[in-house]
Amino acid sequence: MSYPKLECLKLERRGPVGWLLNNRPDQLNAMSARMRDEFEVAWKALDADPEVRVIVHTGEGRAFQTGVDVTEIATDGVGMDRYRESVEAFDLRFTSWHNRVWKPVITAVNGVCAGGGFHWVADADIVIAASDATFFDPHVSVGQVVAIEAIGLLRKMPAEAVMRMAFVGRYERLSAERAYELGMVSQVVDPPDRLRDEAQALAETIARNSPAAMAATKRALWGAFEVGLTEACKRGAQELVSMWGHPDQVEGPRAFAEKRDAQWADYTRAAGE
Amino acid sequence: MTGYETLVVERRGPVGWLVFDRPDRANAMNATMLAELEHAWRELDADRAVRVIVNTGNGDAFQTGLDVVQLSRDPDALREQSRRTKQAELRLTAWHNRVWKPVIAAVNGTCAGGGLHFVADADIVIAASTASFTDPHVSVGQATVFETIGLMAKMPAETVMRMAFTGVHERIPARRAYELGMISQIVDPPALLRDEAQALAETIAQNSPAAMAATKRALWAAFELTQEDAR
Repeated sequence: MSYPKLECLKLERRGPVGWLLNNRPDQLNAMSARMRDEFEVAWKALDADPEVRVIVHTGEGRAFQTGVDVTEIATDGVGMDRYRESVEAFDLRFTSWHNRVWKPVITAVNGVCAGGGFHWVADADIVIAASDATFFDPHVSVGQVVAIEAIGLLRKMPAEAVMRMAFVGRYERLSAERAYELGMVSQVVDPPDRLRDEAQALAETIARNSPAAMAATKRALWGAFEVGLTEACKRGAQELVSMWGHPDQVEGPRAFAEKRDAQWADYTRAAGE
Repeated sequence: MTGYETLVVERRGPVGWLVFDRPDRANAMNATMLAELEHAWRELDADRAVRVIVNTGNGDAFQTGLDVVQLSRDPDALREQSRRTKQAELRLTAWHNRVWKPVIAAVNGTCAGGGLHFVADADIVIAASTASFTDPHVSVGQATVFETIGLMAKMPAETVMRMAFTGVHERIPARRAYELGMISQIVDPPALLRDEAQALAETIAQNSPAAMAATKRALWAAFELTQEDAR
């Protein structure tokens, strides 16, 4: 499967792992209007590729992501207003969650993650970071509100740390080590240049599990953020039961008993939804 | 508190003990244990002398989820468990059975898959230093839902999702569980786990049972509502 040619992002596949790379290293991977549009294309391409079982998202250069391209906003005569409609409607398409991608997504934070960059930390299933990665949210230091990314993070980690970042703005950075202590990331990679190898290895490990079972699990877990605990379990039960009778439920135990890797059925969007 | 085949249920002072007792099956839940769990929680809840409940396992494992092999040989039990799963009406844990006394899970070894129900649904969790946590569901073609949803409400979600998606291929050691606040105490050497659990339970038993029950109802209800509703 060939991927669309993009200007601000790179797409590639290594074995069962689809890679999405932010590719504006000279602008610290800031999100231009063009990049914003390309994200939707990129997620959909990786989601549609049946060879891709797990997705890794990282950045080229010394930054992971630094949010909206402020230079473009300040100079193009349109500014933030171009985004008004989609933000007001909360009709965003730049993360895997926005695009309803149900394959597991690993964000591999390779350096600075600032402001809007938190969208991809909040919306990934798993986050790992290079030991020299840093996190901060400068929104309020430049007169902007931070809402969506921070709200996503609040659901997933100790809230005090998120609020401190929101209010301290550009004047403080969270280290990769502290992010690990807080459970914001589950792995710190040192030396930093091993990040992509470690991400690939983790993704290949995950790719050994049932794609259909992982998709059902992902829908149930992300669905749980939307409702109360009992209701989440009731809705989750539908996802759980959706696997009953699926060929992976026979193959999984059989492969385990025979001490071999399972041959899973292909997961396709159509089958999962 | 006799007549149990797969559990040991007993009282030591003000502390009720519910102990998984299928050590040669890593305490996996067969049809009998599924039935006995509901009965045991109700018995401990009804016993006025019991103020705090400790849940642990005999042998090397804490709890490893459903004994699928045994259940597949018992069609009636399997059908009933399937129905309860479908309706999200399980009766395995204190939370399922609406027990409002404080419950301490004392994780004595491996806690895998469905064993995570008892961690997610306890009020307090302590573990032996040799304990570990893993969720193999997706590695055998199963979705993981109730246990992981419960855990996500109580601890950093990224860890829970990583455990869900890495399946049988990764384990969370007791040390990391402690750092993340999934458990509040590591007991080393592991042989002291029950003594420490009894001591913690006796400490808690000094507090007002009625106030603790009201507190427990309020805190668990808070997981059901928005913050504004919960005030």
